[in-house]
Order: sequence, then structure tokens, then C-alpha cells
Amino acid sequence: MTLEECYAAMDGDLEGVRGRLLTDDRIRKFTGIFLQDKSFENLGASLDEGNLAEAFRAAHTMKGISRDLGFIPLYEVSSALADALRPDDAGVPAAMDQVPDLYRATQEAYQRVVDALALL
Amino acid sequence: MEAPFSHKQTILIVDDSAMNRALLADMIGDDYEILEAENGLQGIAQMQALGTGISLVLLDIVMPEMDGFDVLAVMNKNEWIKDIPVIMVSSESASSYIERAYELGVTDFISRPFDANIVRRRVVNTLMLYAKQKALIGMVADQIYEREKGNSLMVAILSHIVEFRNGESGLHVLHVGAMTELLLNHVIEKTDRYNLTPADVSLISMASSLHDIGKISIPDEVLNKPGRLTDEEFDLMKQHTVIGSEMLDDLPMYRDEPLVQTAYEICRWHHERYDGRGYPDGLAGEDIPIAAQVVALADVYDALTSKRVYKDAYSHDKAIEMILNGECGAFNPFLLECLTDIANDVQAELHVASFSNHTDHEIRKIVDKVVRPDAASSRTLELLDYERMKYRFFASMSNEVQYEYTVDPPMLAVSDWGASGLDLDEIIMDPLNDAHLREAFGEDTITMLREALHATTPDEPVIEFDIEATVNGQLRWFHVTSRAIWTDDEVPQYHGSIGKMVDIHESHERLMELQYKATHDSLTGLMNHPSARQAVTDRMAMNPEDNFVFMVIDLDLFKQANDTRGHQFGDEVLRHLARRLLASVRDRDVVARVGGDEFFICMECQVDPEPLVERVYRSIIGEYEGFPLSVSIGVACTQGDEHSYDEMFRKADAALYDMKRGGRGGYLLSDLSAQDEGKTALSAIDGGQSEEKE
Repeated sequence: MTLEECYAAMDGDLEGVRGRLLTDDRIRKFTGIFLQDKSFENLGASLDEGNLAEAFRAAHTMKGISRDLGFIPLYEVSSALADALRPDDAGVPAAMDQVPDLYRATQEAYQRVVDALALL
Repeated sequence: MEAPFSHKQTILIVDDSAMNRALLADMIGDDYEILEAENGLQGIAQMQALGTGISLVLLDIVMPEMDGFDVLAVMNKNEWIKDIPVIMVSSESASSYIERAYELGVTDFISRPFDANIVRRRVVNTLMLYAKQKALIGMVADQIYEREKGNSLMVAILSHIVEFRNGESGLHVLHVGAMTELLLNHVIEKTDRYNLTPADVSLISMASSLHDIGKISIPDEVLNKPGRLTDEEFDLMKQHTVIGSEMLDDLPMYRDEPLVQTAYEICRWHHERYDGRGYPDGLAGEDIPIAAQVVALADVYDALTSKRVYKDAYSHDKAIEMILNGECGAFNPFLLECLTDIANDVQAELHVASFSNHTDHEIRKIVDKVVRPDAASSRTLELLDYERMKYRFFASMSNEVQYEYTVDPPMLAVSDWGASGLDLDEIIMDPLNDAHLREAFGEDTITMLREALHATTPDEPVIEFDIEATVNGQLRWFHVTSRAIWTDDEVPQYHGSIGKMVDIHESHERLMELQYKATHDSLTGLMNHPSARQAVTDRMAMNPEDNFVFMVIDLDLFKQANDTRGHQFGDEVLRHLARRLLASVRDRDVVARVGGDEFFICMECQVDPEPLVERVYRSIIGEYEGFPLSVSIGVACTQGDEHSYDEMFRKADAALYDMKRGGRGGYLLSDLSAQDEGKTALSAIDGGQSEEKE
């Protein structure tokens, strides 16, 4: 599968990524590294343990790297999740009630990226 | 992660996401050495270790352990931020975050998503900017140096001309300058009412050299007249203040220069008096500029202590006394107070003031003041990096654990191989309250080292100790050598310490073993005679009030055991007896084997020794595997008087001899009062095995 087809399968922004990362080799290299990144597992585990500070950091990292790689749908939901988990000065998340739904959406978007990358 | 000593510049990426670090490193490219840290604490450790060996830091904000803002706070506190530029990298785009980052001194901000061209461009720009800034600071320093040198040189020549004409040695301007500086520095210490900065002090001191330039227009016969001046001549002489100030005021291009303005004040008003009765303008009190007030005082002091055509030199003490008594003019009482405070310094300082070092010293000080933080040249920094690398290399080969501790911020940095050896973190914030560290070294040891370091002096800052520490659950011995770091301040401040720890466990154990072997009998494990003698002598010296019972014990018929059942059995008998002896006394009593079948016990004893001896005797007799254990004991007891070990041992031994002569199996107390008759005072006999009595 070509990069074009792969990004089309997940609604990614290939043009944007090409503009920033400059070479297809680099894009392929870092989509490979993305699959090894533990942020998503970390996110799930932290939520299960109720470690909200760690969950925020994981969502925040997801948001950053999915944006770098132009995984737009994943970036959007993980970004919303990070915002919902963002602790205030007392360490209380901004919108805990939205977290379960946003986590499910993040899970789906992540799976979609993984499935698309698997075909690359 | 050895300090990179290549021509590539080093960039440190601090980010908790491995993917981010890889992406940034990839975008920055191969032209730079890349170091990575996965949280703020590790980042700080790298900076601590490499200093300006790091050319640039890319810093994430949201991280575990220590976030980006905390890292910036530490960098600010240690003033690293001035030398190491930081680019913030973050997906945080909230303006409050960015603003705060800039406030904390970051140079630039790269926002997400990362763009290879932007990342590269920002990195290169920042590095170039800093390199340029460093070069510029160097150039500015050079220029200031040249300019000040020029100024100072001209001032020196000019004032020297005046003095030359005046028949004074060139030292007068130097003395006035040095004393002006001393006085002003003290004024600054005591009050801020004059709003003087250190730069003002330098300026006034330099300008003080010009105080008498007006004298250049005074005719020789007046200027150098040996006798008293007539009123007319004196009026002429007074004119040097006005003439000097006008000369300066007439400088068309430079009249606004601070140096010229200050010199004007000094020239014109250095003969004014605080009570308003001076010349030329009759200014009074604080209407006289402080520069002129101070120079006037310095001028009078130096005139008094120097030889002139019309007078001899007064002593320092006399001069101070005359000034304080108001014999040489009226001065600001506050300045007189300052003069009194620094009178001793004045004498010492003026004594060493000479032409050769003066100007250069002054200039260097000014240049230093202006550009001190970055005055080190890039060559110096390079050498420093090289030294640092060399040091780390040799240290890593010698298997030492090195550490660096700073009080403020409270931080302990341990060399990486040391950290793994000791199972510690490389960087420990607030180490005195760190549970892990306290567990490893024990609170007592930490407190002991801390107090010992605080008790050092800048002249003798090194301490050495052997301490025990827990490494991986095991207690091990270390030799610690530490050096306290004291500041250069007049009252030195304790700044922290550096030091090393060497694992000496094996050699320490060996030493202990050798020590043990040297002091104990190998067969029975009891003390040998020399160490028993030492132990008892020490004990007696420490407790001179106590009484001590000496027992020399001989195993009867031991030869039979050897002869009939073999030497191995004989050895077993001796070991058995040793165990029984140990069991019959208290832990703190001394039990030793002092000969083939001779043993020795020494115990403290406050009461009648006999029941004690009886108890020991009873507990050791009996039999061992069919061999009858019969012993003879000679006993001696100190009775309030002072007796030496040797004397007591001899008496007990003599009693034993008497005992054996009279038969075997039992004990005999030597009667000290009976002196060397030795025998007698047979107090108890026991049958034991042999039923022998005396």
C-alpha cells in the first residue's frame, strides 16, 4: 500500500506531513516508531489505575505525535481528551465526565491508524 | 554519555516521549552531537555535568519527575540560562504557557506540529545568535579595556605633570586615589544616602587624580615657596581650584563626560569646608558634592603624612589624630566616622600603592565589573571543557564514586558509574531529606559528614572518614574524602562540597581479619597475652577506682592428655576449656590463653573476690570425654591501691606456683599486703578431681 492509500484510509493529512517532514523515508520511519510508542497503552493503564496526572501526560503525548504525523482524527480526539484531563492547580481534571466517551473515541481513532499503518 | 569533545556542538533534548526526541534529533540532523534526557531531572543532571559543553537545550513542558518550568527555574537559579540557550518545544499553545516560558528566559519557541525546516532554522539561528553575542561581549570588553586604559593613562600623565612641577613625588595622586576608593567603599557599606554605585566609586577615584590640575597655572615661586605664603600669595594659590575646574569646563567636546563632570566637582570644591569656611565658593555641609568631600579628606591625610618643602611627614596615628581634632579643616562627621573605621586599612593600603601595578589593576577591575559574567574567553571555556573531560575519564577508571553537593539549590550530583554502583539516582534534589539516601548511609553518618564539612575552614577544607553504607542491601565500607567549598567573600559562606568515595570493603575486611589474627590465639579464639595485657591496662587506666581480679589458670595433667590420647585430643581439651572459661564470665571480662595450657582471666570486682573465683572454678572443672578437667588457679586482686598489670600478673602467677607446689586442683589468693612473701592466705581449696588440699 502506498503512503497515499494509507493516509486516505485514516483520513490523515499526507500533504501537510510531507511539507513538514520533507521526505517519504522520514514519514515511513516515524510512522514505524509511532507503532512502538507506548503512550496509548500508558493512557489506558493510567486511566484504569485512576492515575489522572499520568493519563493527562499520555494523552498529551498522543496529541503531539499524532499531530506531527498528520493523523488528524486521532489528533483531534486525543487533543480533546488531553483538555478534559488537564489538571487545574489543585490537580483536578477539567472535565472528568467527558473522559470515558473521549477515551472510547481515542481508542477507535488509534485503532484506525494502527490498521491503516499495518497495511503500509 | 561522556562529555563530547568534538568540534560538533552539543544539543540536549529533554522530552519524556522517545518518539519526540527521535523526531527532533532526526530533523536537527548529523551536524550536531545529540544528548537525550527523558525528564527534567535527567536534563538538569546533564547540564550539571557538562555545563557550557551543551550549546543548546530543546525543552518540553509537560514531563514527569520535573517539568519544563521547573527545569527553567533551576537554570535561572544557577544562572545557567545566561550561557545555555533554551528552545521550548511543546504542543502547549496556550499563550499563558508561552509567556511564562519567555519570562523564564527561553530564547525561542517551537510549536507543534514539528516542521523539519523550522526546527532546523530555529536551532541554527539560536546557536548563531549566542555565538555572536559571546563574540560581541568579548569585543565590548576589549573596547572598554582600551578606552579605560587610554583614559587612565592620560589622567596619570596629566596629574604627574602637575606633581612634577609641584616637586611632589608622583605618589600623591596614587595615595589620594587609593584612599578615596577606600573611603567611598566604606561609605557605600554604611549608607545609601549618597546613591553611589561601585561604578561611581571607580569614576571618582580616577577623577581624584585631577584634583590639583589647576596648580599648573600657579607661578613656580608661589607653588614651591618653602616658607609661609603671604595673604596675596595665598589668594593666588587658592585660584588653583577655580582654574582647574575651568580648564575642564572649557573642554569643548568632553564636558558632558561623567569623568570630566566628576573631576570638575573635585577640582573646584576639594578645598571647601563642611562648616562653610572653605574656598572658592564657601559651600557648606552636603552642598559640597560627596566626591569633593572625600577627596578633600584624602588630600589632607596624604599631605600630613608626606614630607613637603615646608614640613616634615607626620606619622599615620598623628595625622588621624590631627584630622579628628579638627586641626586641619572641618569635615563631614560621617566621613570622619568612616575614616576612623578604616584607619588601619588606609595605612596598609597606601603603604603598598605604587605606580607599577596601579593603572592596570584599576582598568582590569573596571572591565571586570562591566562584563564579568562573560569575561571568560572561548579559549578558556575550551580548556575548561577539556579539563572536565580529562577528569571524568580518569575518575571513571579509578572506580571512585564522585559527588558534588550544593547547598543552594540543595542538590547532590553523583557520577554516573558511582550512581549505579551505589544504587542511587544521579541527581538528588534536597538530598538531606531524601529517604533513599538516608537509608543507604544512615542519618548519623550524613549528619556527621555534614557537621564535619561545616566545621572546616577555607584553609583546611578537606575531611576524610571511613564510613559504612548499604549498597544493594549489603553493608560495605567506604573511604570518603570531601572538600568543603567556601566562597571568596570576606566572611566565607559554605557553598557545598565535592568529594569521592572509594569502596574499601575488601581491604577493610582484610585489615580487620589481620588485626584479629594478631590479637587472638588461633587455636582457641581467645585473646593472646599481649592483647590481653593491653586490654586490661586500658581498662585499669579508664577505671582507676575499680578493683580487678587477676586469675592465672593452669590445666593440671594436660601433658597426660597429649601423651595418652594424642595432640589432636589435647587441642580439643584446650578448646573445650576455653569455651567453659568464656561461659563462666561476663562478656566484658578479659579471657586469654597466655601459654600452652595456661589461661588468664581478668574481671572487675567490687566486693570480696572469693565467691567470684569460686564460681569460675566450679564452672570449669569436671571432665571432658573421660579426661578429668582439673585446674589450678592463682589469684591476685587489686585492693584499692594502684597496681600495674605486670605486678598483678606476677602475683597471680606466683600464687599459682604456690598452689601447684602444694598439690593441684584448687585456687590460691595471693595476699598483696604480704608483699613478696607471696604464698600464704590460702583461702579455699576444693577437691575437684584430685581432692588435693594444702
